[in-house]
Amino acid sequence: MNIGAEETVQRRILEFVEERTKADVAVDKDLFDSGLVNSMFAMELIVHLEQAFGIAILGEDLRLDNFRTVERMTSLVDRLREEPVAGHA
Amino acid sequence: MPDWLAEATEQLTDVVGDQAAEWDLAGLLPVETLRTLGKQGLLCAEVPVEHGGIGARSADNGAFTAHVGSLCSSLRSVMTSQGMAAWTVQRLGDARQRREFLPRLTGGELTAVAFSEPGAGSDVTAMTTEIRRDGDAVVIDGGKTWTTAARYADLIVVFGRYGDGGGAVVVPADTPGVTIRPVPAPSGCRAAGHADVTLDSVRLPLGAVLGGGGQPLPLLVTTALAYGRMSVAWGCVGILRACLSAAGAHASGRRQFGLPLAEHQLVGRHLAELLAAEQVATRVCEHASRCWDDRSPEMVIATVLAKYVSSTEAARGAAAAVQVLASAGAQDGHVVARAYRDAKLMELIEGSTEICQIILARHAAAQASRREPA
Repeated sequence: MNIGAEETVQRRILEFVEERTKADVAVDKDLFDSGLVNSMFAMELIVHLEQAFGIAILGEDLRLDNFRTVERMTSLVDRLREEPVAGHA
Repeated sequence: MPDWLAEATEQLTDVVGDQAAEWDLAGLLPVETLRTLGKQGLLCAEVPVEHGGIGARSADNGAFTAHVGSLCSSLRSVMTSQGMAAWTVQRLGDARQRREFLPRLTGGELTAVAFSEPGAGSDVTAMTTEIRRDGDAVVIDGGKTWTTAARYADLIVVFGRYGDGGGAVVVPADTPGVTIRPVPAPSGCRAAGHADVTLDSVRLPLGAVLGGGGQPLPLLVTTALAYGRMSVAWGCVGILRACLSAAGAHASGRRQFGLPLAEHQLVGRHLAELLAAEQVATRVCEHASRCWDDRSPEMVIATVLAKYVSSTEAARGAAAAVQVLASAGAQDGHVVARAYRDAKLMELIEGSTEICQIILARHAAAQASRREPA
């Protein structure tokens, strides 16, 4: 298996989600539809992603779609890591 | 202690002086004083330096908030609103909006945040205020109740439905269609400028919608409230400190049956419980602020816990302080009489005691649940 940077990000996100939800989670599982995530936990996720990956998730990026699955969160982190930090509050 | 905090602490003691009772009785704060504090960045001290703020850590702003809360909960409530507005712009706004609005919030303009509606208090999904896109503009219709500091506000951050989700719009208070009616006689934080806000076909440029809107309403509100809860929690620490100080002074000075009140064991117990309450509230707030400063995901639950513990302890502690002072404190305007009314209000706002308990209970259950395939 080729473990690239993206896969490491995905693994770290998955570990956090599984640890907090106490459930085994598939990377394409819809966390909101399955009731695993409410708005309090969504905020924990946001703060965790920011802290763990040195990014700022602000404004329009706070859309639910970005946090719906572990895969989507991985894409969000990858995109924000490539952007300059000028957008930081 | 950073320099700004030492200076600001001393300054606020002077600014408030012995006027808190007068402000409470009049139901009004001096607006020029609010503007002066606003220009110094003290109403929202955590705004980053690049946007004209002080860039305070949560722990330091918390210590400052507790100090202001010990002097005047109405003034502290105005700080809570301004800080929550700034935090909302910081989190929900885009880079341009942060550059536009944050310097205004640290430049003397006053701000309120409007969530509650007649049919939507704890249940934010019941909000009916509508933000509707119309070409390059948005049109807002709705009615907000009990908006803290709206009476003084130049800008109001209004939450409402927008498309499939929600939105937060920065509304200048003088926009045509905005009507602000002060709540006639609030039971607590009487000078905090609580008002009902009506929005009747209020038209603003699209750029007034923070981050473009459309994010889930509960997530928007949860984000904004996080700051408000932290601020209320620290404000309640201040209420407890004022009560402890007033009750301690009275119980050691006044004598009955040949002894200082504090030597009567039933009165002494009130003092012990007040001391414990002040310490418990302080520690739980310090922990939550540390989570904020470390950007730990635990900040979300720690903040709810701090708000819950601090406000319930303040309500109980203020009742005990009134009991100790008895007739000496039983008049409107007195520090313990204000504390009694103000602390009770703190159990109602920014997530009532019961809503906080529900959040904490769910968290406890989730943490303890068995791991099963989902």
